[in-house]
Amino acid sequence: MNISIKTLLAASTLALTVGAANAQDLSPLNSDSEPDRMDWSELETKFGAFPEVPEGTRVGGVSKTLTNEYWRSLGEGYANTAEANSVEFVYQAAANEGDQLGQLSIAETLITQGFNALLLSPQTDANLLPAYETAVAQGVPVLNVNDAVIPSVANYVGNVQKDNGVRVAQWFLDNTDGGKVAVIEGQPGVFAAGQRTAGFTETAEAGGLEVVASVPANWSRELAFNAASTILQQHPDLIGFYANNDGMALGVMEAVKAAGLQDQVAVFGTDGISDAYDSIRAGDLTGTVDSFPVLTGEIALEVVLRMLDGQDLPRVVATPQALITADNVDQYATSDMGALREVLLAQ
Amino acid sequence: MIEGPPVKPAPPFNMKFNLRDAGTLFGLILIVVVFASLTPVFLTAPNLINILQQSSINAAIALGMTLVIISGGIDLSVGPTAALSAVISASLMVAGVPIPLAIVASLGVGMMCGLFNGVLVAYAGLQPFIVTLGGLSLYRALSLIYTGGNPIFGIPPEFRALTNGDLMGVPNPVIIVGIIALILWVVLNKTPLGEYILAVGGNEEAARIAGVPVARTKVATFVISGCLASVAALILVGRLGAAEPTIGNLWELDAIAAAAIGGASLMGGKGSIVGTLIGAIILGALRNGLTLMNVQAFYQLLATGIIIIVAMLIDRATRGR
Repeated sequence: MNISIKTLLAASTLALTVGAANAQDLSPLNSDSEPDRMDWSELETKFGAFPEVPEGTRVGGVSKTLTNEYWRSLGEGYANTAEANSVEFVYQAAANEGDQLGQLSIAETLITQGFNALLLSPQTDANLLPAYETAVAQGVPVLNVNDAVIPSVANYVGNVQKDNGVRVAQWFLDNTDGGKVAVIEGQPGVFAAGQRTAGFTETAEAGGLEVVASVPANWSRELAFNAASTILQQHPDLIGFYANNDGMALGVMEAVKAAGLQDQVAVFGTDGISDAYDSIRAGDLTGTVDSFPVLTGEIALEVVLRMLDGQDLPRVVATPQALITADNVDQYATSDMGALREVLLAQ
Repeated sequence: MIEGPPVKPAPPFNMKFNLRDAGTLFGLILIVVVFASLTPVFLTAPNLINILQQSSINAAIALGMTLVIISGGIDLSVGPTAALSAVISASLMVAGVPIPLAIVASLGVGMMCGLFNGVLVAYAGLQPFIVTLGGLSLYRALSLIYTGGNPIFGIPPEFRALTNGDLMGVPNPVIIVGIIALILWVVLNKTPLGEYILAVGGNEEAARIAGVPVARTKVATFVISGCLASVAALILVGRLGAAEPTIGNLWELDAIAAAAIGGASLMGGKGSIVGTLIGAIILGALRNGLTLMNVQAFYQLLATGIIIIVAMLIDRATRGR
């Protein structure tokens, strides 16, 4: 046994050939605060009408997982723009949100197929780095789409994560007399979760609200339900919850209902999934911050086609988002993306 | 049970490349032929290298798992062991500790995790499934607590060069795993430890009576498994240029699948290094080929499940038991 382990040690430490390390000249990206940015609505005014796409253009997309409606909708948006421009488009995702190596394998396999450009939505900040570096080395443009951020990436499309939380906190400041609020966070260490929580907490506390609890529920409806039940027991005078995504918000909603406090406690989510819209219409969920995944997908593919056309876009293109409540739910609940664009542009 | 059956020595080597390994290899060839005929990119050199590269991490884990399984155990804690070893070695490297030292520390962490599992199984007499299920939570928790849930970036390029380089076109991770497989093949088939592992898995009571150091043998398999989890972690850290406390999620299942496809029996006493290696490549090739054909991940899972069950059915039919 001793011998075998020593040999293992030796084998693993074998100094093998040295590959070229990729120089990363761009500073690590913070998609929320990067100064080199623009809003999606300015694309046309700053860079002109959408370019003619060369025939035979092939674009590949890799997203987190299709078990989450957000990523299915994003793919729908990609496909819309691809179809409108006769671009061959392939969309793949890992089996679940924890399968980081599987997602990497998928991305690497797509690269070997020689796509003109890639849209990557990594599961974590790091897990698609090797694929990104390979693509860059081969001269394939890569666009990072929502929400984990490849630190060295040159182009990013997505919403301002922090703004999600800011908008919800602002609602509480505008519509309540203040009081105790709580946050149900997503996976610890995930950029989007941290930013959403920070945006809410900073704005809420600056406005005089008291954030009495902020606990992670790892994007899980069940964990969110449990966490919210516990918080409500501790703070029966709570006036509201902010959850980092809609799935968790719906779990929180159930806990609020079970405690019989739905008239006192407002619950907000993030993402704008269809269950959230239904729940808002039914008068359960107070609101959500919709980041319009289908429209985001359309915009992302437009951006990548503009990149292929040689346009020098800013590092970050911010996509639309809006606070949805019972007051405006019907205005935004449209599957007609043209109409939705007009509503958003009119804001 | 005073007169237990005598412990058989390992069979002679000329019988070692057995029918079962040939069957696994045939399965791999079948998969390769099918994909090659369906999609032209599959059989290109860069893609084949890609498959080996993508399979190397699972193969490293699965090789350790195979020894544990042969000895009649199971190691569910390999993924979190890898995560703990990854974040500790990464933080050492980022802090400026010399790379060889950080590598040794990483392997040490893995072996300590394995030792902990092994001692509880062999000396405290707990069931391997339960012990390593506990380890699965324990080591994951330690890596999350250690990092506060945050990834560690800034791995030195000299270290990344070790895992991202290649030797005559073959990526270093593939070479590293190849060397490890060779060593383990020798250990299993040509050393007393190998005989002990097979004996303990085949009939523990008989092995004990025949004087096999049963407890130490079990501990050894867990330590090797932990060490290989660290090797996998180091390969991944080098490739990603970062260490995340969440890596290794469900790695144990992929590793068990590779070992089972390769002919390992969860009842112990059976299993093959060559078979496990081919098993890991089968899983990698399957995933790669289905992605090339743009089959969605849900169906890829379906295919993996079918392959595992078919492999077991063939196993049963050809071996009888």
